[in-house]
Amino acid sequence: MVPSVKWSPAKTANEAVEIKERRVARLKRSNRWVWLGLVPFLLMVLMFQFIPIVSMLTGSLKPAEGAGISFGFYERILKSAYYLQAIKNSLLISAASSAIGIAVGLVCAYAVTRFPFKTRDRLLMLSNMTSNFAGVPLAFAYIILLGSNGVFTLLFKQWGLDIFGGFDLYSWSGLVLVYVYFQVPLALLLLYPSFYGIRDQWREAASLLGASRWQFWATIGVPVLSPAVFGTLGILFANAMGAYATAYALVGGNYNLLAVRIGSLVSGDVVNQPQLGNALAIILALSTLLAVFLNHLMTKRSQLLHTASPAKPVRRSRRMPVPRSVGAKEEL
Amino acid sequence: MSVYLELQGIRKRFGHTSVLDDVNLQIREGELVTLLGPSGCGKSTLLRCIAGLADLDGGQILLERRDIAPLPPRSREIGMVFQSYALFPNLTVGENVEYGMKMRGVAKADRRRRSEELLAVVELTDKRDAYPQHLSGGQQQRVALARSLAVRPKVLLLDEPLSALDAQIRKNLRAEIRAIQQRFNMTTIFVTHDQEEALTLSDRVCLMNKGRIVQEGTPEQIYTRPRTEFVARFMGSYNVLTRPEALKLFDGLEGSADSFAIRPESVVLLSGSAQPLPADKRIVEGTICAVSLLGSIIRYAIDAAGVRLTIDALNDGRSLPLAERSPVLLALDESQLLHLEKEGA
Amino acid sequence: MESGIKRAGIAHRLLMLLLMIYLLLPLLATCIYAFAQEWQTTVLPERWTLEWFGEMFRDLRFLESLWTSLYLCLISVAISLIVMLPAVFVITVYLPKWESFMKGLVVLPYAVPGVVAAVGLIRAYSSGPLEIAGTAYILIGAYFVVVLPYMYQGIRNSLLTVSAGPLLAAAELLGASRTRAFASVILPNIWPGVLVSSLLSFSVLFGEFVLTNMLVGGQIQTIQVYLYHRVGESGHLASAIAITYFVFILLLSALLMKLGQKMNGGLKG
Repeated sequence: MVPSVKWSPAKTANEAVEIKERRVARLKRSNRWVWLGLVPFLLMVLMFQFIPIVSMLTGSLKPAEGAGISFGFYERILKSAYYLQAIKNSLLISAASSAIGIAVGLVCAYAVTRFPFKTRDRLLMLSNMTSNFAGVPLAFAYIILLGSNGVFTLLFKQWGLDIFGGFDLYSWSGLVLVYVYFQVPLALLLLYPSFYGIRDQWREAASLLGASRWQFWATIGVPVLSPAVFGTLGILFANAMGAYATAYALVGGNYNLLAVRIGSLVSGDVVNQPQLGNALAIILALSTLLAVFLNHLMTKRSQLLHTASPAKPVRRSRRMPVPRSVGAKEEL
Repeated sequence: MSVYLELQGIRKRFGHTSVLDDVNLQIREGELVTLLGPSGCGKSTLLRCIAGLADLDGGQILLERRDIAPLPPRSREIGMVFQSYALFPNLTVGENVEYGMKMRGVAKADRRRRSEELLAVVELTDKRDAYPQHLSGGQQQRVALARSLAVRPKVLLLDEPLSALDAQIRKNLRAEIRAIQQRFNMTTIFVTHDQEEALTLSDRVCLMNKGRIVQEGTPEQIYTRPRTEFVARFMGSYNVLTRPEALKLFDGLEGSADSFAIRPESVVLLSGSAQPLPADKRIVEGTICAVSLLGSIIRYAIDAAGVRLTIDALNDGRSLPLAERSPVLLALDESQLLHLEKEGA
Repeated sequence: MESGIKRAGIAHRLLMLLLMIYLLLPLLATCIYAFAQEWQTTVLPERWTLEWFGEMFRDLRFLESLWTSLYLCLISVAISLIVMLPAVFVITVYLPKWESFMKGLVVLPYAVPGVVAAVGLIRAYSSGPLEIAGTAYILIGAYFVVVLPYMYQGIRNSLLTVSAGPLLAAAELLGASRTRAFASVILPNIWPGVLVSSLLSFSVLFGEFVLTNMLVGGQIQTIQVYLYHRVGESGHLASAIAITYFVFILLLSALLMKLGQKMNGGLKG
């Protein structure tokens, strides 16, 4: 059906109305098609994304028995040393692993931009590849390496250095170490584009004006990068807070982590207090949402800094995006 | 005036190609010299070498008789304005202008005074606290200029500073730059591919091609007396003729030149037979092939004795433009015929 | 500063080398473990063997879990494709105002981590009208949400790269109906990009643990769940499984890269 528009002028008022009605009808028909395409999608998103969240929210606000709104579960959590410990542990481990991850990732991102594009892409690909290993295999690999009979533990003992003797893989520091393994590639991937935003001409202008390398980075480079860095920090933090597989495989229930606690409360061998798990999950989600929101704010600011240039005809890159890391996120 | 900046035997290679080939240039203090040429002729590379942003493979750069080639950019006391402005996005306009002084440890009060002085010169005093992103292209370029001048450089380099701007802004800014340059008596090198810019701005023009300076002189000299065919073609709509073609229009030619040039505006068109024919000019018959109106000029494409010529006539409203296919008489002045040298002579 | 700016010095190369070693070490360790007869107290294994791989391939549960993973992931990706293709198309071409809302979807895996999603799903579907908790259905639904960002971005980028809007308009002006235009003009052009996102989504789902374990862990065993159980029982066997799984994903990613390159080459014309 050709969407034709007849330009012959309406001969009578009736004809004019008729033409209008036909146009409206055609529009309605095409709109119907539009909505048809969307319905299954909206349905799925509703069923498997929104309803669970709403259900969680309402569930956590219910009292243990009966109806009405009550913050009882939240109260219990905030009064319980045990759960507060879990929250604290998770926050600390996420903060530490994110900080280390971003520091290492930043330096590596700077280094990676110095290579020609092909080499850079290969390095990034390698880095992304290894993130497929995250989760259960990763935990196990670290047990092999740094467990009580781990390769490095034994090696260093042979050499007389007992540093890994005192090191406990199944403790706070062990977890941070293992978390860093998947934080660094993520930081690298998210940060390296920002270095291309540091224009060569800024460096040249700065050097002509008398700035040394360090002065340039201190006064221009780092300030321009910081929104991206803070934004990535947010993502890293959310990533660590939500990490489950690695922690579960490494320490199981032996170390008090929020994500693992939630898991055991809601669906373990002994399912005892799902409502509590609900509330804890909401608390976890709050922390990750906050972190992601921080990332959103920082991204906007970063874009602001990078629009200071004359409108050069940007060669519309017709490349398909290199498939984002197969599982750059720690786990899903 | 003695020589302020001298380039001696500048050489630069990029792999196997020679980007700059034995460039020699002498610039006096306070002069504005333009490096003009097509893309890839090496003019920007030469500028970057002078600034220290690119290495030389041979030659010396003498600033006040001191060779600055071994010095890093920050020690050369040279300022540069880029085509893309290169303003620091995280600093305000004022902070951008003060940047150089800050790096050199100038006291805050002095910095403030100097930046205000310069912002007044470029007429952007009210934008001191704005960020570069909120300024127009022309304004950003003026800030870039103020920033470079704030540290009192010995030489100012401008790398196609107007190319990214609209035509009207370009014309205004061009005049401003020239005014500021003269006011500060700043030795300046200006790079552009636009010959009109070069002619209006400069004290001297250096036309470059393939890494060499092909001709150098005042705008007047370069425009009215191009030495080679390349220069003639670059500097306007010169008619370039081969020897046989020139012989068709003129009887007997001296010298051994193989190509000749004649300016479109130096040929007079006579229409009717009523006019007394000028005695000192050579008269040739021709036919008008095409007419185009370029505003103040009417451009005719004329076929005279088998030679295709472009002739410009002033559109002063006194005479109507001649029609296509009408016969016309051309009054050629042999003194206006330029004998061109071969390239690389 | 030609010599300063864009070249990788020794320090940078060294750094990258260290990074690569750091990242590959766990892989290497697992690989060695998979081929080791015994590896208790020595730095390197005393004896090497292939028996673990043999045992793995003979293990019925392994083969079952592999099959389960395969068909669950395939079904999920297929459903996702069928649902998302028209939806993303409609949004990208006809409802650009929704784009900002959809942008939030991209960070979904971080904002709502697997654990949280699992909790919500269990609560919503353990009782009430739709009691699908513990079945494959809820898993497929959960998987749909998991790959949503990847499919969305992939399809959207494909559509933008081929300029779907103007293309569609041109087709309609030439007389095609909307559906015909979509099928004959849009679909063939975006197919390579869509294929890449599908493969990517497949890999992502293949490695998924959280949701699977929490939602159906007891009843349905995907390869990751199976791996987890085996780690406790026999480390060597688990290593063999891990390595096999990793090699599989590696091959898949290599396929992805090749396809991606082929597409870029094709579109450059």
